[in-house]
Amino acid sequence: MKKPSEAVLLLLLLFFTPHAKGTRFSPPGKPALTRCRSPEKETFTCWWEPGPDGGLTTTYALYYRKENSEAVYECPDYHTAGENSCFFNKNDTSIWVNYNITVVATNTLGSTFSDPVDIDVVYIVKPNPPEKLTVTVMEDKGWPFLRVSWEPPHKADTRSGWITLIYELRVKLEGEDDWEMHLAGQQKTFNIFSLRSGGTYHVQVRCKPDHGFWSEWSSTSYIKVPDYFHREKSAWILIMVFTAFIFLILTWLLHMNSHRSLKHCILPPVPGPKIRGFDEKLLKNGKSEDIFSALVVSGFPPTMSSNCEDLLVEYLEVYVPDEHELMLEEGKDLHDHCLKSEGSTSDNDSGRGSCDSHTLLMDKCGEAKEQGRQTEQEERPVETQRHQKEWNEDTLPYAHEDTVSPDMSSGRVKTWPSVFCPLPQYSSSPPNHTSSLEIAKQHCLSDSLFPPGSTSSYLTHPGHSTKETLGPSRWEFSLSNKQPRSLHPQMQTRQQLQARSDINLSNVGCEQAPAGLLPPTARPTEYVEVQRVNEEDMVLLKPVASGRGCGDGCPRLRQAEDYSKVKGVNSDHTLLLQREVMGEEAERCPCQDQETNGETDSCITSSTVTTTQKPPACNYTAAAVQDKMAPTVSGYVDTASIFTLPTY
Amino acid sequence: MSGTIRSVSVVWLLLLCLVLCRTLTGTGAAPICANAQAGCYAVSLANLFDRVVQHSARMHGISNDLHSEFEQYFLPSKNQVGRVGRNCHTSTILTPNGKENAQRMAREELTEVILKLLVAWRDPLWHFHRSMAHHHDFTNFSSDKALEMSDMVHELRKGVERVAEKMQTLGLMSDPVNSQVSPEALPPPDSGEWRRMKDYDLLYCFRRDSNKVKNYLKILKCRIVPEHGC
Repeated sequence: MKKPSEAVLLLLLLFFTPHAKGTRFSPPGKPALTRCRSPEKETFTCWWEPGPDGGLTTTYALYYRKENSEAVYECPDYHTAGENSCFFNKNDTSIWVNYNITVVATNTLGSTFSDPVDIDVVYIVKPNPPEKLTVTVMEDKGWPFLRVSWEPPHKADTRSGWITLIYELRVKLEGEDDWEMHLAGQQKTFNIFSLRSGGTYHVQVRCKPDHGFWSEWSSTSYIKVPDYFHREKSAWILIMVFTAFIFLILTWLLHMNSHRSLKHCILPPVPGPKIRGFDEKLLKNGKSEDIFSALVVSGFPPTMSSNCEDLLVEYLEVYVPDEHELMLEEGKDLHDHCLKSEGSTSDNDSGRGSCDSHTLLMDKCGEAKEQGRQTEQEERPVETQRHQKEWNEDTLPYAHEDTVSPDMSSGRVKTWPSVFCPLPQYSSSPPNHTSSLEIAKQHCLSDSLFPPGSTSSYLTHPGHSTKETLGPSRWEFSLSNKQPRSLHPQMQTRQQLQARSDINLSNVGCEQAPAGLLPPTARPTEYVEVQRVNEEDMVLLKPVASGRGCGDGCPRLRQAEDYSKVKGVNSDHTLLLQREVMGEEAERCPCQDQETNGETDSCITSSTVTTTQKPPACNYTAAAVQDKMAPTVSGYVDTASIFTLPTY
Repeated sequence: MSGTIRSVSVVWLLLLCLVLCRTLTGTGAAPICANAQAGCYAVSLANLFDRVVQHSARMHGISNDLHSEFEQYFLPSKNQVGRVGRNCHTSTILTPNGKENAQRMAREELTEVILKLLVAWRDPLWHFHRSMAHHHDFTNFSSDKALEMSDMVHELRKGVERVAEKMQTLGLMSDPVNSQVSPEALPPPDSGEWRRMKDYDLLYCFRRDSNKVKNYLKILKCRIVPEHGC
C-alpha cells in the first residue's frame, strides 16, 4: 500500500522540483516594521525588517498616512538613518498625530505589504543618553562621597520645556557585577555616599522622557576613591579594644562563677567574731557557768598545759598566824572567783583590758582602777625608778630564764599582787606570750600570781583588790590595763613599779605589820614572801613586812605582792608554784630571813626540793610553763625566773 | 495588663491630639489669591506654575494607565480598522502639533487652548466615569482612576485659570483671553458625538489631550518662569 503512495510522491517531487527551481524567484516576503523611534520628539525614524527577498532584487518603500487624512505619503528619507529605515524630519513630523505606516517590499515579481503600524510620535520618544557625565570625589566631614553630574542630550530640548527628562544612574565597584541603581528624577546632579576606601567606581547615567523609552546608558565614567584608611582603622581599634575588654570581663565572670560565687568575690563575707567555745545557745540558757566553762580553751596558754588552772597560781598558801588565815580564806574565795573569771576570759580573741572584760570582774575591777589611778599619781619617782630597776632586773632574767634573784626579795619569793595582772605583758617575754599576757591583764584584779615572762595563766582575785577599802591599795593595775598592748617592758615595768610603789605606799600607810607574814587583814590579797625552803621541802613564806629591812624598799614592794602557792621545787632549782584550790599547806621557803637578794639566791638555789605535796585539786601541769619561761607559770611569782613548774 | 492598656490609650490620645492640632493649625488651608489679600496668601507665579504642571502630569499619568488597562484587557486584537478614522471630539480645537508651532504661539493663545481642552473634557470624563461604574467588568481601581481623572480635569482648569489671572495681574498676559475661554462661550460639542465614542476611543483621545495640556503648560512655564526645572 505504501509503496504506491511513495511512488506518487516521488513523481510529484520530480515534477515540482524543476518547477521550484524554475520559480526560485518570487515576490518578496512580507517586511515588518520593527520599531520607530524619536530622539527628541521632533523627528522620528522607523526601521523595518525585510522579508525574504524571493531571490530577486527587492525594493522597499514606506508609506504613511496621517490621521484624518487619506493622503498617502512616502518616506522622505531612506538613507539618513541607515539601511531599511525611514527618517522623518521636523517638517514631516507632527506630534499628537497618528501615523499609519506601511512598508512595501517590491520586486519584479510582486510586492508585499507589511502590516500597518500606528504610531504617535509622543509615545515613541527615546532620547539619546545624557552627555558630559562627570564624577568627582568630594568630602563631607571627613567622609568622601561621589558627586555625579551630567547634561541632557543636546538634541533634547528641555530648556523650552518641550521635553521633560528624568534620569537614572548606576554605580558599581570595579570588578563587581552588580550595579547600584539610583533614580535621580529631573535633577542633573547626584551624590553617592558609603564609598569603599580606595575603590574604583564605574558610573553610568541614562534618561527617559516622562512617557517614553529609556535611553541607552551613557559611556562609563571611572573614578577612584582615595584612601581614608586611617579613619576606619581607628574605629576598628576602638572596636577591638572594646571587644577585648568585654571578653576579659566575661572570662573573669566565668572564672568567678566556676570557682565560687560572684557574690562571694565582690562581697566577701565579713568575718564574725570567733570566740572559741562561744556558744550562743549557752548564752540563751543563761547559765554563765556553762558559757564560761565552754570558753575555756584547752591548750591555753600555748606554752603551758592545756589546763589553764595549772598556769595560775593564785597565791601561795602560807602558814600564817590566825590573822592571816583569814586572808587565806578570802583568798580562796577569790581564788574561785578567779577561776571562773579566768575561764571566762581565757579565750584567744580576748584582747580586752582586764578591767574592761565582760566577766564578773567588771565591778570589782572598777574600784581597783580608780584607786590605782589615784595612787599612781602619788608615786615617788625615786621608788619608781628603784622599782623599775628591780623590775627590770627581774623581768630580764625571767625572759632569759636566768635564775635571778629578785633584787627586792631577800630570798623570798615575791608574788605580785593582782594588780600586776598585766605583768606578763610587761615582762620582756617573747611576743608569743602576748595572749597569755592579755589574759593576765584580764585577771588584773586578782591577786593572781604570775611568773613574769611566762605566759602564765593566773587567777584573778577580783575581790581582793576591790573589796578592801584600802584606798591606797588600789593598784595601778588600771594603769597597766590602760596600756595593755604595750609590750615594752620598760614602760610597763615602770608602770608596774609605780603600781607597786603605790601599793607599797598605801600599804605602808596602812599597815605596819612586819611580823605578819601576810599583809594586814585589810588587804585583800595575801602577800607571802618566801623566806626559805625548809628541810621538808617547804617553802616558807612570810608576809611582806612593810617595815622590813629591805634597804631597797623591797618590803614595800613585797607588801604589794602576791604569792602563789608553791607547789614544789624541781631539780632545776625552780620553785613550783601553783594555785591552790584547796587549802593546802603552803610550803615555805626555809630561807625565811633572807631578804637580801643575794641571800635569796642562795636560798632559792638551795631549795632543791623535790616536788612537794601537790594538792590534788590543783593539778597544774607544769608543762604549761616552758623551760624558757623563767618564772613559774602560776600566779605571780616574783622570782618567776627561778621557778619553773616541773612537768608532770 | 491594665498598665499596657493605659499606656496604649495614652499613646492614642497623644496621636489624636497631634492630628487635631495639625488640622487645626492647618497646613496651607488658606486659599490662594492672585494678590495678597486678607484671608489668603499669595503664591508666586512660579509656584503656581509648578503646581499646575505637576497636576497636569499626574492627570496624564492616570489617563495613560487607564488606556493601557483598556488596551490590555478589553482589546486583545489590535487590528482596528477604524482606528485611523477615529475622531476625537476635540479635534476641532486647533492645537499646535510641533514644537515650533507651540513656541510660536502666544502665551495667551496657548493658555486659551489649554483651557479649551480642559473644558471640553469635563463632561465626557464624568460620563465615562459613570459608565465605568456601571460596568462590572472594570476593576474598582479603574473606576477610581476615572473618577479621579474627571476631578483632576476640573481642578486643573481652575488652576490654569488662576495662573492666567496671575499672569494678567503681572502684566504678562492680556486680558481678553479669558473671555474667550468661558465654557459658555465655547460652542458645545455635538452632544451626541462624544457619546458615541467608545470608551476606549475616549480614553485614547483623552490621553493625547492630557499630554497636550501637560506639554503646553510646561512650555508656558519655561517661557514665563524658566528658573526651575527647565
